[in-house]
Amino acid sequence: MTECSNPLALIAEITHRCPLHCVYCSNPLEMISRNEELATADWLRVFGEAAALGVLHLHLTGGEPLARQDLTELIEGARRSRLYTNLITSGIGLSRERLSQLVEAGLDHLQLSFQDSGEGQANWIAGTRAHAHKIELAAWIREPRIREHGIAFTVNLVVHRQNIDHLEEMISALEALHPDRMEIAHAQYYGWALQNRSALLPTRAQLDRAVAVVAAAEERLRGRVRIDMVVPDYHARFPKACMGGWGRQLLLIDPAGRALPCHAAGVIPGLRFDNVREHALDRIWQTSEAFQKFRGEDWMLEPCRTCDRRKEDFGGCRCQAFLLTGDARATDPVCELAPLHHLIEDAVREEAATRTFPPPQQAPFHVLQEKMAGFWSYRTDPK
Amino acid sequence: MGAIVPELVDTSVPRLAAGCRWGGTVEAPVVLFPEGAIRVEGTGRIILELCGGHFSLAEIVQKLETQFFLAPKGKIRAEVQTFLEQLHAKRIIDY
Repeated sequence: MTECSNPLALIAEITHRCPLHCVYCSNPLEMISRNEELATADWLRVFGEAAALGVLHLHLTGGEPLARQDLTELIEGARRSRLYTNLITSGIGLSRERLSQLVEAGLDHLQLSFQDSGEGQANWIAGTRAHAHKIELAAWIREPRIREHGIAFTVNLVVHRQNIDHLEEMISALEALHPDRMEIAHAQYYGWALQNRSALLPTRAQLDRAVAVVAAAEERLRGRVRIDMVVPDYHARFPKACMGGWGRQLLLIDPAGRALPCHAAGVIPGLRFDNVREHALDRIWQTSEAFQKFRGEDWMLEPCRTCDRRKEDFGGCRCQAFLLTGDARATDPVCELAPLHHLIEDAVREEAATRTFPPPQQAPFHVLQEKMAGFWSYRTDPK
Repeated sequence: MGAIVPELVDTSVPRLAAGCRWGGTVEAPVVLFPEGAIRVEGTGRIILELCGGHFSLAEIVQKLETQFFLAPKGKIRAEVQTFLEQLHAKRIIDY
């Protein structure tokens, strides 16, 4: 068995239900339905086991975590277990009163996602009318009665080809909401985003402009708003150290209780994931087949096996390796040293080719779905 | 537009910023913040424990000067200042 350290963070995907249909969603294409979801008591037990295992941060995500009626109870339970509790949300389903309840339950950090600066464009990307409520919610979060609880407020913006050219306006619009942090995250190509890659992957020129815009904003907002940026790995020379290495720092529990090393690991064929309904979390972390599979270096192929960078990036992302090369052990093709690096170069070249995109439009979801077919697929809700 | 970045002066009262709090164990305390944690030990821990919103920068420096009375004059002030300014840029400390 490969030696392992303690996990530092638990990502709890408490539901896959979501009122938004974002085209870059990182959820798997096959989603878990409501009747398969873990019960409140299961989650509370898992939070206690996670804290005992050394986990410091709990990230409550989904789907839309607010779709769970027991969210306040889950936050209370997490805080009883001494976990730092972060809610990653679209804000849909959060009234002023419910916001107070979550904060009083001990929520430490709220991360609110935005799709774009303009309402029409944002709703087009989300496939639903969500933007106006987010703006209203952001104002509630900054009211003194919420602020006095000491909650941190982050605004998150997923950036891609369809919105990257007005990043400057987006940053100004979000700055006006007075967040503590701003997360500018380029779409990562898994799940729905991979399916929609041809509409989402920015060109090199777009990315270079965006990097300059973010650098200027960082300078201007220093000491007021912290900016964290996630760059798209397709344009990098070397792969990201995905999840800080497989089974090294993080674990994810899906709505049905399966423990995964990351959001996308379910796509790798033949991996067996243990379920928290049947096993204690420490046992899963230490011995489950899925977590063992790519720990350490024994599984590595060349060139990773003898590469100096293997201790820094662990060969990149296993899921991306599988999704693009068909072999989860392969060097992440993002790496310029990867034998199949041309797969990334081809994708960047093809997606950069000039092509006409339909303009943003507003319509009910089923109309948008039909109008945008062939261009991108909106995320659909589990049955 | 917007507010001017606050300057750290003698009368500033440093405290943990919103969404930042102590965690970990008594033997290995950490300061938790939205996307991470810092392990604090040694002098860093002593300084941060004084950042509860009760003491001004001048008072914190004075306490440290009493504790580390062999340190050259002015050195402690400069080190505390740099330390707190770095944590302020990361939105872990407010003043």
